[in-house]
Amino acid sequence: MAESPMTMHAGHAAALEPSPYGMSSRKLVMWLFITADAATFGAILFGYGFLRAGTADWPRPFEFSPTIVNGMVMTFVLLTSSLTMLQAVAASNRDDRPATARWMGITIVLGALFAVLHLREWFKMFGEGWSLSANPTGGPVAFGASFFSITGLHLLHVVTGVVALTVIAIMFRRGRLNAGHIETTGLYWHFVDLVWMFVFPLMYLLNAH
Amino acid sequence: MTAPESTREMGMKGYVMIWGALLLIVALEVFLTYQHLAPGVLLFALLALAVVEAAIGLMYFMHMRYERSLLFWSTIPYLLLCFLLLNHMWRDAARIISLKGQAP
Repeated sequence: MAESPMTMHAGHAAALEPSPYGMSSRKLVMWLFITADAATFGAILFGYGFLRAGTADWPRPFEFSPTIVNGMVMTFVLLTSSLTMLQAVAASNRDDRPATARWMGITIVLGALFAVLHLREWFKMFGEGWSLSANPTGGPVAFGASFFSITGLHLLHVVTGVVALTVIAIMFRRGRLNAGHIETTGLYWHFVDLVWMFVFPLMYLLNAH
Repeated sequence: MTAPESTREMGMKGYVMIWGALLLIVALEVFLTYQHLAPGVLLFALLALAVVEAAIGLMYFMHMRYERSLLFWSTIPYLLLCFLLLNHMWRDAARIISLKGQAP
Protein backbone atom coordinates (compact mmCIF):
# COMPACT_ATOMS: atom_id res chain seq x y z
CA MET A 1 0.00 0.00 0.00
CA ALA A 2 1.38 3.41 -0.94
CA GLU A 3 2.29 5.61 1.99
CA SER A 4 1.23 9.23 2.30
CA PRO A 5 1.45 11.81 5.09
CA MET A 6 -2.23 11.20 5.82
CA THR A 7 -2.16 7.45 6.04
CA MET A 8 1.29 6.53 7.31
CA HIS A 9 1.08 4.41 10.47
CA ALA A 10 -2.63 5.20 10.74
CA GLY A 11 -4.19 1.82 9.96
CA HIS A 12 -6.74 0.58 7.47
CA ALA A 13 -9.52 3.07 8.21
CA ALA A 14 -7.33 6.08 7.54
CA ALA A 15 -6.21 4.52 4.26
CA LEU A 16 -9.82 4.57 3.06
CA GLU A 17 -10.64 8.09 4.28
CA PRO A 18 -8.27 10.87 3.28
CA SER A 19 -8.38 13.97 5.46
CA PRO A 20 -10.85 16.60 4.19
CA TYR A 21 -8.31 19.20 5.27
CA GLY A 22 -5.63 17.71 3.04
CA MET A 23 -3.11 17.60 5.86
CA SER A 24 -1.72 15.18 8.40
CA SER A 25 -3.45 14.67 11.74
CA ARG A 26 -0.41 16.16 13.46
CA LYS A 27 -0.75 19.44 11.57
CA LEU A 28 -4.54 19.56 11.97
CA VAL A 29 -4.24 19.08 15.72
CA MET A 30 -1.73 21.93 15.88
CA TRP A 31 -4.20 24.18 14.04
CA LEU A 32 -6.96 23.18 16.46
CA PHE A 33 -4.69 23.89 19.42
CA ILE A 34 -3.78 27.28 17.94
CA THR A 35 -7.48 28.10 17.53
CA ALA A 36 -8.21 27.21 21.15
CA ASP A 37 -5.18 29.13 22.40
CA ALA A 38 -6.21 32.15 20.35
CA ALA A 39 -9.60 32.05 22.07
CA THR A 40 -7.84 31.89 25.43
CA PHE A 41 -5.66 34.90 24.70
CA GLY A 42 -8.62 36.74 23.24
CA ALA A 43 -10.65 36.13 26.38
CA ILE A 44 -7.83 37.24 28.67
CA LEU A 45 -7.31 40.40 26.62
CA PHE A 46 -11.03 41.09 26.74
CA GLY A 47 -10.81 40.62 30.52
CA TYR A 48 -8.07 43.24 30.58
CA GLY A 49 -10.27 45.55 28.55
CA PHE A 50 -13.13 44.97 30.98
CA LEU A 51 -10.92 45.82 33.96
CA ARG A 52 -9.60 48.90 32.25
CA ALA A 53 -13.03 50.14 31.11
CA GLY A 54 -14.31 49.68 34.66
CA THR A 55 -11.46 51.59 36.30
CA ALA A 56 -11.55 55.36 36.30
CA ASP A 57 -7.92 56.10 37.19
CA TRP A 58 -6.06 53.48 35.14
CA PRO A 59 -2.32 54.22 35.25
CA ARG A 60 -0.22 54.77 32.15
CA PRO A 61 3.29 54.38 33.52
CA PHE A 62 5.36 53.31 30.51
CA GLU A 63 7.88 55.87 29.33
CA PHE A 64 9.07 55.81 25.71
CA SER A 65 12.56 55.05 26.94
CA PRO A 66 13.28 52.45 28.10
CA THR A 67 9.94 50.60 28.16
CA ILE A 68 8.45 51.26 24.72
CA VAL A 69 11.88 51.09 23.07
CA ASN A 70 12.44 47.74 24.78
CA GLY A 71 9.04 46.60 23.52
CA MET A 72 9.96 47.62 19.98
CA VAL A 73 13.22 45.67 20.22
CA MET A 74 11.33 42.64 21.53
CA THR A 75 8.87 42.91 18.63
CA PHE A 76 11.74 43.10 16.14
CA VAL A 77 13.40 40.05 17.71
CA LEU A 78 10.21 37.99 17.63
CA LEU A 79 9.31 38.97 14.06
CA THR A 80 12.84 38.11 12.93
CA SER A 81 12.59 34.75 14.68
CA SER A 82 9.49 34.02 12.58
CA LEU A 83 11.51 34.78 9.47
CA THR A 84 14.33 32.46 10.53
CA MET A 85 11.74 29.78 11.32
CA LEU A 86 10.48 30.10 7.74
CA GLN A 87 14.05 29.57 6.58
CA ALA A 88 14.21 26.43 8.71
CA VAL A 89 10.97 25.11 7.21
CA ALA A 90 12.26 25.82 3.68
CA ALA A 91 15.51 24.01 4.46
CA SER A 92 13.63 21.03 5.90
CA ASN A 93 11.55 20.84 2.71
CA ARG A 94 14.85 20.45 0.80
CA ASP A 95 15.87 17.80 3.37
CA ASP A 96 18.91 19.93 4.20
CA ARG A 97 19.24 18.86 7.82
CA PRO A 98 22.35 20.89 8.76
CA ALA A 99 20.78 24.08 7.39
CA THR A 100 17.49 23.32 9.14
CA ALA A 101 19.28 22.86 12.46
CA ARG A 102 21.22 26.11 11.90
CA TRP A 103 18.13 28.16 11.18
CA MET A 104 16.26 26.59 14.06
CA GLY A 105 19.23 27.36 16.27
CA ILE A 106 19.02 31.02 15.29
CA THR A 107 15.28 30.97 15.98
CA ILE A 108 15.92 29.46 19.40
CA VAL A 109 18.52 32.10 20.23
CA LEU A 110 16.15 34.89 19.19
CA GLY A 111 13.35 33.34 21.24
CA ALA A 112 15.62 33.12 24.27
CA LEU A 113 16.71 36.74 23.71
CA PHE A 114 13.06 37.81 23.70
CA ALA A 115 12.52 36.00 27.00
CA VAL A 116 15.62 37.61 28.54
CA LEU A 117 14.55 41.11 27.45
CA HIS A 118 11.10 40.48 28.85
CA LEU A 119 12.37 39.21 32.17
CA ARG A 120 14.79 42.12 32.42
CA GLU A 121 11.87 44.50 32.06
CA TRP A 122 9.82 42.56 34.59
CA PHE A 123 12.57 42.74 37.22
CA LYS A 124 12.96 46.45 36.57
CA MET A 125 9.25 46.87 37.28
CA PHE A 126 9.51 44.68 40.39
CA GLY A 127 12.29 46.95 41.58
CA GLU A 128 10.02 49.97 41.13
CA GLY A 129 7.36 48.32 43.30
CA TRP A 130 5.05 46.85 40.65
CA SER A 131 3.69 43.34 41.12
CA LEU A 132 0.55 41.28 40.58
CA SER A 133 -0.99 42.95 43.63
CA ALA A 134 0.92 46.21 44.05
CA ASN A 135 0.91 49.61 42.37
CA PRO A 136 3.69 51.95 43.61
CA THR A 137 1.77 55.02 42.37
CA GLY A 138 -1.08 54.22 44.74
CA GLY A 139 -3.54 53.61 41.92
CA PRO A 140 -5.47 50.44 41.04
CA VAL A 141 -3.57 47.19 41.47
CA ALA A 142 -5.51 45.72 38.54
CA PHE A 143 -2.84 47.19 36.26
CA GLY A 144 -0.13 44.95 37.65
CA ALA A 145 -2.47 41.97 37.82
CA SER A 146 -3.45 42.26 34.17
CA PHE A 147 -0.02 43.25 32.84
CA PHE A 148 1.98 40.50 34.53
CA SER A 149 -0.61 37.79 33.95
CA ILE A 150 -1.04 38.53 30.24
CA THR A 151 2.62 39.07 29.45
CA GLY A 152 3.43 36.13 31.73
CA LEU A 153 1.12 33.82 29.80
CA HIS A 154 2.75 34.94 26.56
CA LEU A 155 6.22 34.51 28.06
CA LEU A 156 5.26 30.98 29.11
CA HIS A 157 4.35 30.24 25.50
CA VAL A 158 7.68 31.66 24.32
CA VAL A 159 9.71 29.61 26.80
CA THR A 160 7.87 26.37 26.06
CA GLY A 161 8.25 27.15 22.37
CA VAL A 162 12.01 27.55 22.77
CA VAL A 163 12.19 24.20 24.57
CA ALA A 164 10.06 22.50 21.91
CA LEU A 165 12.10 24.03 19.08
CA THR A 166 15.29 22.76 20.71
CA VAL A 167 13.99 19.20 21.06
CA ILE A 168 12.57 19.14 17.52
CA ALA A 169 15.77 20.59 16.03
CA ILE A 170 17.96 17.99 17.76
CA MET A 171 15.73 15.09 16.78
CA PHE A 172 15.42 16.31 13.19
CA ARG A 173 19.19 16.70 12.90
CA ARG A 174 19.57 13.09 14.09
CA GLY A 175 17.19 11.91 11.38
CA ARG A 176 14.37 10.86 13.69
CA LEU A 177 11.81 13.42 12.47
CA ASN A 178 10.71 14.68 9.06
CA ALA A 179 9.94 18.06 7.49
CA GLY A 180 6.31 17.84 8.60
CA HIS A 181 7.42 18.07 12.23
CA ILE A 182 9.40 21.22 11.50
CA GLU A 183 6.44 22.78 9.72
CA THR A 184 4.07 21.94 12.56
CA THR A 185 6.43 23.37 15.18
CA GLY A 186 6.81 26.43 13.00
CA LEU A 187 3.05 26.96 13.11
CA TYR A 188 3.19 27.18 16.89
CA TRP A 189 6.08 29.63 16.79
CA HIS A 190 4.33 31.90 14.30
CA PHE A 191 1.25 31.84 16.53
CA VAL A 192 3.32 33.04 19.49
CA ASP A 193 4.52 35.92 17.31
CA LEU A 194 0.98 36.62 16.19
CA VAL A 195 -0.25 36.91 19.80
CA TRP A 196 2.50 39.44 20.52
CA MET A 197 1.09 41.59 17.69
CA PHE A 198 -1.90 42.14 20.02
CA VAL A 199 -0.11 42.13 23.38
CA PHE A 200 2.39 44.85 22.45
CA PRO A 201 -0.12 47.52 21.37
CA LEU A 202 -2.74 46.69 24.00
CA MET A 203 -0.47 46.20 27.02
CA TYR A 204 2.39 48.54 26.18
CA LEU A 205 1.32 51.25 23.73
CA LEU A 206 -2.08 51.86 25.33
CA ASN A 207 -0.29 52.22 28.68
CA ALA A 208 2.37 54.58 27.35
CA HIS A 209 2.87 57.72 29.40
CA MET B 1 10.93 11.13 2.77
CA THR B 2 7.42 12.66 2.54
CA ALA B 3 7.02 16.36 1.78
CA PRO B 4 4.74 18.57 3.88
CA GLU B 5 1.27 19.16 2.48
CA SER B 6 1.52 22.94 1.89
CA THR B 7 4.33 23.07 -0.64
CA ARG B 8 2.90 25.88 -2.78
CA GLU B 9 4.42 28.85 -0.98
CA MET B 10 6.14 32.11 -1.84
CA GLY B 11 9.91 32.40 -1.94
CA MET B 12 12.07 33.79 0.84
CA LYS B 13 12.19 37.18 -0.88
CA GLY B 14 8.44 37.48 -0.46
CA TYR B 15 8.67 36.52 3.20
CA VAL B 16 11.35 39.16 3.80
CA MET B 17 9.06 41.77 2.22
CA ILE B 18 6.22 40.67 4.48
CA TRP B 19 8.55 40.82 7.48
CA GLY B 20 9.44 44.38 6.49
CA ALA B 21 5.78 45.29 6.10
CA LEU B 22 5.02 43.95 9.57
CA LEU B 23 7.86 46.03 11.05
CA LEU B 24 6.48 49.10 9.30
CA ILE B 25 3.05 48.46 10.79
CA VAL B 26 4.62 48.22 14.26
CA ALA B 27 6.43 51.51 13.62
CA LEU B 28 3.12 53.06 12.57
CA GLU B 29 1.51 51.83 15.80
CA VAL B 30 4.24 53.47 17.88
CA PHE B 31 3.93 56.66 15.82
CA LEU B 32 0.17 56.84 16.34
CA THR B 33 0.59 56.28 20.09
CA TYR B 34 2.36 59.62 20.43
CA GLN B 35 0.01 61.66 18.24
CA HIS B 36 -2.32 62.63 21.13
CA LEU B 37 -5.28 60.86 19.60
CA ALA B 38 -8.50 60.42 21.55
CA PRO B 39 -8.36 57.16 23.56
CA GLY B 40 -11.14 55.51 21.57
CA VAL B 41 -9.56 56.50 18.26
CA LEU B 42 -6.14 55.22 19.34
CA LEU B 43 -7.63 51.93 20.56
CA PHE B 44 -9.51 51.43 17.29
CA ALA B 45 -6.41 52.24 15.22
CA LEU B 46 -4.12 49.95 17.21
CA LEU B 47 -6.63 47.10 17.12
CA ALA B 48 -7.20 47.51 13.39
CA LEU B 49 -3.45 47.47 12.70
CA ALA B 50 -3.01 44.44 14.99
CA VAL B 51 -5.74 42.59 13.09
CA VAL B 52 -4.03 43.42 9.79
CA GLU B 53 -0.71 42.13 11.16
CA ALA B 54 -2.36 38.98 12.44
CA ALA B 55 -4.10 38.38 9.11
CA ILE B 56 -0.83 38.79 7.22
CA GLY B 57 0.98 36.47 9.62
CA LEU B 58 -1.81 33.91 9.47
CA MET B 59 -2.11 33.90 5.68
CA TYR B 60 1.56 33.97 4.74
CA PHE B 61 3.81 32.96 7.66
CA MET B 62 1.40 30.25 8.81
CA HIS B 63 0.55 29.37 5.18
CA MET B 64 -3.21 29.41 5.67
CA ARG B 65 -3.48 30.99 2.24
CA TYR B 66 -2.09 27.81 0.73
CA GLU B 67 -4.22 25.40 2.70
CA ARG B 68 -7.71 24.23 1.76
CA SER B 69 -10.43 26.79 2.52
CA LEU B 70 -12.07 24.27 4.87
CA LEU B 71 -9.32 24.99 7.39
CA PHE B 72 -10.14 28.71 7.33
CA TRP B 73 -13.89 28.15 7.64
CA SER B 74 -13.41 25.61 10.44
CA THR B 75 -11.35 27.91 12.65
CA ILE B 76 -11.78 31.62 11.97
CA PRO B 77 -15.60 32.00 12.16
CA TYR B 78 -15.56 30.19 15.51
CA LEU B 79 -13.00 32.65 16.84
CA LEU B 80 -14.88 35.64 15.49
CA LEU B 81 -18.09 34.41 17.13
CA CYS B 82 -16.20 33.90 20.40
CA PHE B 83 -14.88 37.47 20.34
CA LEU B 84 -18.26 38.84 19.29
CA LEU B 85 -19.95 37.20 22.28
CA LEU B 86 -17.30 38.59 24.63
CA ASN B 87 -18.39 42.10 23.64
CA HIS B 88 -21.52 41.68 25.74
CA MET B 89 -19.59 42.52 28.90
CA TRP B 90 -18.79 46.17 28.07
CA ARG B 91 -22.03 47.47 29.55
CA ASP B 92 -21.14 45.80 32.83
CA ALA B 93 -17.78 47.57 32.84
CA ALA B 94 -19.55 50.91 32.45
CA ARG B 95 -21.94 49.93 35.25
CA ILE B 96 -19.00 49.20 37.55
CA ILE B 97 -17.59 52.68 37.03
CA SER B 98 -20.95 54.23 37.94
CA LEU B 99 -21.17 51.98 41.03
CA LYS B 100 -17.76 53.12 42.18
CA GLY B 101 -18.92 56.71 41.89
CA GLN B 102 -21.76 55.91 44.33
CA ALA B 103 -19.54 54.15 46.88
CA PRO B 104 -19.45 55.79 50.35
